[in-house]
Amino acid sequence: MSVQYTPVLWNRNKLVYDAVLLIAVALYLYVFIRYAPAFEDVTKPIDGATLRMRAFGSCAFLMLTVILCIGPLARLDRRFLPLLYNRRHFGVLTAGIAAVHANYVLGWYYNFSPTDKYVALLSSNTSYGQILGFPFEALGIGALLILFVLAATSHDFWLSFLGAPLWKALHMSIYIAYAFVVLHVALGALQGPGDPILTSLVTASVVLVCGLHFATGRMEAARERGEATAKASLQNAGWVVAGEVDEIDEDCAKVVTLDDDERVAIFKYDGKLSAITNACAHQNGPLGEGKVLWGCITCPWHGYQYNLADGRAPEPFTEKISTYRLKLIGSTVLLDPKALPPGTHVEPVRLGEGA
Amino acid sequence: MQTAEFLIELGRYYLYAGGIVTALFLVIGIDRIEPSANGSYAFRPLLIPGICLIWPLVLYRWAVLERTKGHKP
Ligand code: HEM
Ligand code: FES
Repeated sequence: MSVQYTPVLWNRNKLVYDAVLLIAVALYLYVFIRYAPAFEDVTKPIDGATLRMRAFGSCAFLMLTVILCIGPLARLDRRFLPLLYNRRHFGVLTAGIAAVHANYVLGWYYNFSPTDKYVALLSSNTSYGQILGFPFEALGIGALLILFVLAATSHDFWLSFLGAPLWKALHMSIYIAYAFVVLHVALGALQGPGDPILTSLVTASVVLVCGLHFATGRMEAARERGEATAKASLQNAGWVVAGEVDEIDEDCAKVVTLDDDERVAIFKYDGKLSAITNACAHQNGPLGEGKVLWGCITCPWHGYQYNLADGRAPEPFTEKISTYRLKLIGSTVLLDPKALPPGTHVEPVRLGEGA
Repeated sequence: MQTAEFLIELGRYYLYAGGIVTALFLVIGIDRIEPSANGSYAFRPLLIPGICLIWPLVLYRWAVLERTKGHKP
């Protein structure tokens, strides 16, 4: 690996993203603290600290909801992809907002108790056997711990150090945190005097998060089935699996040997794929080891050149080599082993269009 | 009350141990097992909270990477 770790890599998009994020959060907190009292039961006015505790708690909950929706949305529609890139800042901020919420709870509910406030928080209610009056604070603590761990391990270093499988498994626990928070609110605030806004907020969030995950799950299953049938029908027609797109480096080729010992070079260049015979028309030099420049391959032996799309040497030369047809199914490259007559134009396969 | 105090004590010692692992890892471990960290120091303080929280996992990965280091080119 050649990257060097720096504290944070900033660029314009990230700055805009973070600015929008911070402004939205500040606006939410401001509106909540300014206008929520108007919806309160006037006979039981709430104090400022409780109000702020609620503002930060509900803000963290909404942010967690958005974070969990970004993934499936980006899979349903590529236009949501920009939201995905900076999810880590979103996550870190969410953990921070949730921590402020918890801190208000500690400071307010337990400030006047003679015992240590952390001890008081943990021991004030230990009826874990019941639903009504369940110590929902413990669920909040669990969620907050998970959010802290995820925020603390969001730097790229952790992905590389822990390895992708372990890192991903760790970060999947965001779903546990979400379940904890939903229960935290359902068994806590929602058990009190009816609050239609909070109730509908939580319901909407659960429906949205579950619905989106369900929809993307079905979509992906359908796509995988479609890809499997497409692949099977091509293979029935005699096409061969040449490998995965990722195996081919940019401006390089993967050489595939067919049953009749014919060798085919599949090139990746300018976001496209093209296949030509590996044998140069001059003296059978290995074209797959040559260099790609402006859509042309240069033979490593004596420098003959061919256009990758049609196997023809650029004017004024007249050499021609065989081309092959390719298809991309998902991320798998399939090759039609029947060589086309030398010089036949084949439209290159474009990458990244979900072919 | 007993249990609550016990849990908090437990948490405290967990974090003390995390502090020791953090010091060892940032001074010795990181340069041995993460070549791309060589020469970059500014990002290291960012790792402190993470190591304190998941230090058992850090020790495990450190051990694994030390063992497999020789095998990689
Ligand atoms: C140490 C951790 C936490 C503690 C001790 C804690 C404690 C509390 C308490 C005492 C309430 C008031 C319940 C009521 O009004 O009956 C509350 C409400 C709430 N908490 Fe937490 N909480 C914690 C973590 C979290 C986290 C991590 C989230 C979200 C990410 C969260 C979201 C909420 C929400 C949305 C409410 C309802 C606010 C409202 O009434 O409008 N809490 N929490
Ligand atoms: S073999 Fe390709 S240029 Fe001679």
